[in-house]
Amino acid sequence: MSFTDTDLIARVLLSGDQNAFAELVRRHQSPVRAFLTRMTRGDAHLADDLAQETFLKVWQKLHTYRGSAKFSTWLFGIAFNELRSAARKRSELLSADLEETAKEKPAIDTNQGLRLDLAAALERLQANERAAILLCCQNGLSHEEAAQILDSPVGTVKTHILRGKEKLKRLLSL
Amino acid sequence: MNTPEDPIDALLRGENVYHSDNGFTARVVRQLPRRRRNWLRPAVMLAAVIIGAALAWWWLPLKNMPALDFSKLQSLDSNVLSTWLAVLVVMGSLAWGTITALRREE
Repeated sequence: MSFTDTDLIARVLLSGDQNAFAELVRRHQSPVRAFLTRMTRGDAHLADDLAQETFLKVWQKLHTYRGSAKFSTWLFGIAFNELRSAARKRSELLSADLEETAKEKPAIDTNQGLRLDLAAALERLQANERAAILLCCQNGLSHEEAAQILDSPVGTVKTHILRGKEKLKRLLSL
Repeated sequence: MNTPEDPIDALLRGENVYHSDNGFTARVVRQLPRRRRNWLRPAVMLAAVIIGAALAWWWLPLKNMPALDFSKLQSLDSNVLSTWLAVLVVMGSLAWGTITALRREE
């Protein structure tokens, strides 16, 4: 018998069921870790540390989850906040552009015929563009959900996606 | 007719592979702090209120309280003032304790 996320959350809240929580982690660890790995420019160790912190926060704050948003949206919101606080403390590890201070990196000259792979191209985007693209285009979240996670207006998220996609097309020579 | 998928969307979806667990869930579960029991705090609070009420009943001279005479209060009669002040403080504390214990934690 498979339980829904809501069933598992109820079990955790009612009886502190660690097995139910483990099932929630198992279900959601992949997209969260993949997102954080991309956001930390491929630093899998840092991404895993942040993902662990994210799930520990979820355990502590689960009683505040109201169910008005999807659990995955709420979870990505916590993950993004963890990333943001890590970026404040460890600017040498994470791009400072999370703090909106980034200067746009020079685009690859496509005339050189240089074709980056997707991961490298994503690394060249500003953090907010990368986050919006990963959430909406890779994880299938709506613009509204991404806006909630990134704590930005929906219009800004749409702009980040458009701009990010344009850059990716240029970088990947598509 | 279906509109062709954006090539960037297609690339990103293609890259969206499952991240295998590799012991991640076990590591998270090992680090979980003990969950606070929701009923424990209010229960301790209520017990403290009951004990406080019993002590107040024991210590306060409730049976022979000086009459609440405002002229004596105004003249700062220490006997009347201190007794009623003590009663008010104790009652206030008990009321605060009860409200805190019964209020649902956010």
